[in-house]
Amino acid sequence: MLYSLFFIVALICVYTARHYVFTLNRLFGFQRHPYIDIDVASWPRVTVFVAAHNEEKVIWNILAALMEVNYPKDKMLVVPINDRSTDRTAEIINLFSEENPGRIRPFHRAAGKAGKAAALKDAMESADTEVILIFDADYIPSSGLIKQLVAPFFDPEVGGLMGRVIPLNGGTNLLTRLLDFERSGGYQVDQQARMNLGLVPQHGGTVAGVRLSALREIGGWDDNSLSEDTDLTYRLLLAGWKTVYQNRSECYEEVPETWEARIKQLMRWAKGHNQALAAYSFRLLFGKHRATLRERIDGFLLLGVYGMALLMLIGWILALGLFYEGVAPLHGVIALLAITAYGAIGNFAAFFEIAAAARLDYTRQRIYLLPFLVLGFAVSIFSVSRACVSQMLAPITGAKFHWDKTQRFRTSR
Amino acid sequence: MNSAIAVVLLVLLTGIFFILPLLPALIELRLKRDAQPLNVIHEHAGEIRHFSYGFRSCIAALLESLHKCVLSGTPARGTLPNGDRYLLLGHTDDTRLVSPGGKTTCESVVAFGMDVVLPNGITFDKEIYAAGQLTGGEKSVFRALLGEQDIHLGRASTVVRWAHAVGSFRAKHDCDLYGRISSDREIELESGCAFQRLNAPHIALGRSGAEETDVSADTVLNPSLRGRRLVDEDLEIRAGEIVSENIVARGKLHIGAGARVLGSVKSHKHMALEAGVRVDGSLISASTMHIGPDCRITGPVISEHGMEIETGTHCGSFGTPTTVSAPTIQVADGVSVFGTVWARTEGQVVAQR
Repeated sequence: MLYSLFFIVALICVYTARHYVFTLNRLFGFQRHPYIDIDVASWPRVTVFVAAHNEEKVIWNILAALMEVNYPKDKMLVVPINDRSTDRTAEIINLFSEENPGRIRPFHRAAGKAGKAAALKDAMESADTEVILIFDADYIPSSGLIKQLVAPFFDPEVGGLMGRVIPLNGGTNLLTRLLDFERSGGYQVDQQARMNLGLVPQHGGTVAGVRLSALREIGGWDDNSLSEDTDLTYRLLLAGWKTVYQNRSECYEEVPETWEARIKQLMRWAKGHNQALAAYSFRLLFGKHRATLRERIDGFLLLGVYGMALLMLIGWILALGLFYEGVAPLHGVIALLAITAYGAIGNFAAFFEIAAAARLDYTRQRIYLLPFLVLGFAVSIFSVSRACVSQMLAPITGAKFHWDKTQRFRTSR
Repeated sequence: MNSAIAVVLLVLLTGIFFILPLLPALIELRLKRDAQPLNVIHEHAGEIRHFSYGFRSCIAALLESLHKCVLSGTPARGTLPNGDRYLLLGHTDDTRLVSPGGKTTCESVVAFGMDVVLPNGITFDKEIYAAGQLTGGEKSVFRALLGEQDIHLGRASTVVRWAHAVGSFRAKHDCDLYGRISSDREIELESGCAFQRLNAPHIALGRSGAEETDVSADTVLNPSLRGRRLVDEDLEIRAGEIVSENIVARGKLHIGAGARVLGSVKSHKHMALEAGVRVDGSLISASTMHIGPDCRITGPVISEHGMEIETGTHCGSFGTPTTVSAPTIQVADGVSVFGTVWARTEGQVVAQR
């Protein structure tokens, strides 16, 4: 028990150090935005896929926004993927397509496997452009975004690309405000630091792009994956393709407004991520492939982020158990130092990261909400742990993975 | 003290001390003073002409008065809605009004309704609008310039924020051009000029001529032409060699004289191109880059740490405009770029060695 606890504490220390390295890099390090200056080029043809499953509340907004972007009209094709929708999504897409002839090619999917990866896989069979961009239906791209997202593909090493996601409804309630914080920390600090340090920025599956030849080289989308974006990141990495992050390519999204929707989202992400952990961690660390040593280490740590929630929970239980067993792992000054260091540094690593993100975003009063993150943290740790446990028990219980679509809250056309 | 009261007091005090640090959070949660979504700018799209467009719409209200000044040959003065004073000049002789009594500073927004030649050594604190051709004097300082025709700056002049010419923009030797310089036709900078961001269909850095290359737009990013060669160490492409793939070298990359790459090229460390190299795709270095004389690059040219370009090199063409970007760019006299040159820290045109 004692050694298990030490192991968990060591892992927590590694992740704490990682938070600090990322945050300090963002505050004081060299910032890489190599492609953002490409404002003039011979722009290639691009296909923009919009994944939509029962998205009647939001689909019109994104299609309208895509018609207004400053990308050459004759070089951009929008493909809304109506994935087995049972609401008015198909009707809205068809209406929009009629109003914008030649610029939209709807893809209606009436049957087949559930999930975004499966829908993308089917829809992309007809893709013939080297650059593919992907949006979820609740996103609202700005005028210059498509050019910004295409620009990194001029780099022949880039196989995948991720832009920054910004909550549009962040001010709705406490949950959305906390999610606004989390997104800020995750993108403004975490993703950009990984970009700066030559590590593994994660493909997010939306406000994102992929090079068609790279996708075909790695065998296309894996429709068994619950988290197609994480899966894609690692398969590209193992094949020697880079996924890059563009912090200044920002796009609005809608975040969950109820705790129930948030917990479902978290559990789906956790399961998908853990699926990738099981599939790629050993190969990533020890396999013969093109990833560099730092990419192997960072990639492994990134795969383990959801698993850490469960480990931390186990750590708490172990610590309590040992305490009541009368075992004292540390004594005297060492114990005092350890507790002080944990309280002063370790415990606040993630908070420090998010606070740094808020500063980098030039926000002011919202930083006061930082203490409430404990609430979001508690919900996360238990939801993710629950997802991990149910995933581990799935072979025994026979439970099947299923796709939980994130609920939409916007009211629109 | 009654023990029950003591307990209640203790609980109250504990509660207060617990709530106290959360007060700012509770106030923010209640008042939502900073609850707006982060501002994603939808319109500008990084447009280099953003400020000149803004100034043009600001000056539009004065154009009728400016036209009257031209017809009557008399100047006019007034105040803009933002409080800035303006001066409208419609006759060549009026240019002395920008520096009355030998003053070297002009504090008004100035609009010229005709071709104008400005005196030397004047500092313009506010924007200048020129309906005709504007020729600046030597050692002048301009905050911002909008010219409906050509703009020619005299030697050792400075643009502090931006300049846009509908016609061509020319700067004589040793000018410092901070911020955004754009032209709808051509930019020509003589040696010694420093710059940051330039945009025009043709940018001549030093003495250079524009010419079309025969590369079509589709070759810049077309997978059907080639595969990808990924090398984990340094790579050398021999002189005269023709490479039909995209190249990625995770070490240094050296391309010999006269070689041709039909795809795009990337290196993680220093990239060096010798004379006469031709790259049909893009050129990307995660480190520094040296482009030798008389090279032809079709796609974007990006270096993350710094770039030197030798004389006679062309980046892009009229048919395939492109972007050249690095924190520092040193360009020899006689380089042509078709599109954008963006030196985040500083660019410099140096005399031919």
